[in-house]
Amino acid sequence: MASDSVLAVRDISKTFGAVTAVSGVSLDFRQGEVHGIVGENGAGKSTLMKILAGVQKPDVGEILVDGKVVQFAGVREALRHGIALIHQELNLVDDLTVAENVFLGREPTRALLVDRGRQREATARLLTQVNSRVSPDDRVGDLPLAQRQLIEIAKAISFDSNVIIMDEPTAVLGRQEAEALFALIADLKSQGKSIIYISHLLPEVIQVCDRISVLRDGRFVETMPAAGATPAQLANAMVGRELGDFYPAKQTWESEQLLEVADLTTSGAENISFLLRKGEILGIAGLVGAGRTEVCEAIAGLRPRTGTVRVGNQTLSPGSPTAALSAGIGYVSEDRKGKGLILDMAIQSNITLPHLDAYGRVFLNRGKELASAEEWREKLSIKAADVSLPVGSLSGGNQQKVSIAKWLDTNTVRVLLLDEPTRGVDIGAKREIYDLIVHLASQGLGCVVVSSEMPELLGICHRILVMRDHRLAGELSQSEMSEQRVMALAAGVL
Amino acid sequence: MNQFLNKYAPVLALVILFAIGAIWKPDLFLQAEVLRNMLNQSVPIGIVAVGMTLVIAAGGIDLSVGSMLAMTGVFALTAMNKAIGGGQNEQTAVFLALAVSLGLGSLAGMFNGLLVTTGRLAPFIATLAGLVAYRSIGQAQVDSGEVRSMSANLFSRFGQDGIHLDFIRTQSGQALIFNWSIFVLIAVTVGFDILIRRTPFGRRLIAVGANEAAARYGAISVNRIRLASYTLLGTCVGIAAYVNASRMNSVSSSTAGQYYELDAIAAVVIGGTPLRGGVGRVWGTITGVLLLAVINNFLIATNVSTYWQGAVKGGIILFAVLLQRGRSDN
Repeated sequence: MASDSVLAVRDISKTFGAVTAVSGVSLDFRQGEVHGIVGENGAGKSTLMKILAGVQKPDVGEILVDGKVVQFAGVREALRHGIALIHQELNLVDDLTVAENVFLGREPTRALLVDRGRQREATARLLTQVNSRVSPDDRVGDLPLAQRQLIEIAKAISFDSNVIIMDEPTAVLGRQEAEALFALIADLKSQGKSIIYISHLLPEVIQVCDRISVLRDGRFVETMPAAGATPAQLANAMVGRELGDFYPAKQTWESEQLLEVADLTTSGAENISFLLRKGEILGIAGLVGAGRTEVCEAIAGLRPRTGTVRVGNQTLSPGSPTAALSAGIGYVSEDRKGKGLILDMAIQSNITLPHLDAYGRVFLNRGKELASAEEWREKLSIKAADVSLPVGSLSGGNQQKVSIAKWLDTNTVRVLLLDEPTRGVDIGAKREIYDLIVHLASQGLGCVVVSSEMPELLGICHRILVMRDHRLAGELSQSEMSEQRVMALAAGVL
Repeated sequence: MNQFLNKYAPVLALVILFAIGAIWKPDLFLQAEVLRNMLNQSVPIGIVAVGMTLVIAAGGIDLSVGSMLAMTGVFALTAMNKAIGGGQNEQTAVFLALAVSLGLGSLAGMFNGLLVTTGRLAPFIATLAGLVAYRSIGQAQVDSGEVRSMSANLFSRFGQDGIHLDFIRTQSGQALIFNWSIFVLIAVTVGFDILIRRTPFGRRLIAVGANEAAARYGAISVNRIRLASYTLLGTCVGIAAYVNASRMNSVSSSTAGQYYELDAIAAVVIGGTPLRGGVGRVWGTITGVLLLAVINNFLIATNVSTYWQGAVKGGIILFAVLLQRGRSDN
């Protein structure tokens, strides 16, 4: 074992019921290194990280901190050994201030009362360390996600952590914010801290990490230096087979106009106008907070707006999701678990929910519902043992397929708005979702794709709109589009 | 097996409790007349609790049902008496009482619903106001007193009469009467169970209770569903008010329906519908109502002071909620 390893695992295994999540994994993490962990959903990354952070106990195997075998009875103990996990879903209390969150459960006290002054000062120092400009007194719920993440990192540093585990830290960040995070990671690294970095975004992992370990089906595949690694190489190691062309071939679209948006203004988006044609895939790029989601939600009747939205020659009344749906607009939300699906409900009920009227005016025809659900399971190859299972029991990729299927059901939707359709989805399912979008367009649907992943927009879209500060900053045709140009428009550096 | 146990825990508790009672005090638990009384007394609270199941399943709550029942009953009887005093024939007057019960109940329920939806008030607060206000409106009509029915016997027949079962004799040797009102409870229960489990409305209602945001994003008119749930509960309260008044042949503005909100919510929770919504078990609620009735019987059998009944009920509710927490952890 390398003597400079601050943290190591040996032959770790963990099973949940009949499912083996992690099987015989050994890894070591060196001081001052950024160590990437990649793998498809279900490869065992999250379980392994939870074991390292004391959230779960391994069935067999040992954890070594500074070469000594340790056992974590809980998160507190892992923290005491200098290991902090920053969850994908941030663990902050919205209604408390930044300082109160950082010191939650270990407030500095004076005469039995919380010493607010000291708490504020200490928090301010930590915030400077993570390059955050928020005030210790800001309410966390009022802050953007990127800032909340910095607060989590500040909290981790405050525990004197030597190893900070970041689970999909850029999933909720725009490009600029992500770059700021990378700079912070480099900073932490130079202070001798080790970072374990988990992400689906392979180019980003290669950029940020020193070494990258690949997991597949709960097993260790290989560890490679990041320098010289390519996304394709990583992807192939993750999947265990050659992926081939990642993006399906683009099809041509028709000239018939499907959706017209004119002068649309809503909170968070101003004067948006564009056309969408039959069979076209239109991308919307921009930094997080640029107003992309707001535009989609306004079109789908989910938020009040002014301006015109027309499908065919039908003008939509604003603020009515039902009207939008009956005109043929479906919106796949970026927040799959919170807004896209009802996790406790059966797969089949989730699929038929927007179109229940088609399943009976008075009584539901459950046979018909079942038949529809089975049809979609087949068509979209949703991996589920039974469509009566709760949709929350599926993996991210399969959940996403259900949240798309619910709009496709009954074939009445003509315009599909997809907001971050591949977020939190593994590589295999990503490819399937791209195929699906391209296939739907070839069937004559108009698709709008909002994404923070530039390669995917370039890979599948016919045209890209770029938003900056709530407005349209520009439009790029097939021949004009490149990552640089999208970025330049999104960041306003022309 | 475990799942089976979880789902049928309330039924199991009911059966076990009843079996213990039957062995221990057969005269109190195995007498047709006693059982009929138990059932008959549970009818108004049962009807209210079934309606409450709908509201709770949609993620709401209604604290005003007891007061609403008193107010509705007072107005229904007052209207009927006025009609009789004004020379209307009895049938018309009784029909008027029924119409006022159903109409006023539904209106009051709808008003609660509007406060919650259009008014954007928290259901707890909106209906707390109703709990305080509705009874007071009823009391103000009759100086906090009682309204006695002026109908000769047509009005009370509904709550007191029923099918005469000649093969079962009461202790006084008469044929046992199986009250009409019990059939009403059965009909309401069956109807609402079908409504929740088999109709598009029921599915949407459960969706709203399970995840309001996802329901809205799924093009469901959340407010309309919410409003309907409160209105239907109001209709149930109207039916219960009518049954109650008919059974007593009078309405007391100060005590009718007292604590019904608590008993109804308790029955719903005991029956397996969680307060956070997203699940609606109508038959579970009925089991909860019967469980509360059997426990009452127990307390009477043990000669426990009536003052202790609340403590025992409270304990049962806590137990049921703890059991539910175990369920959702699975």
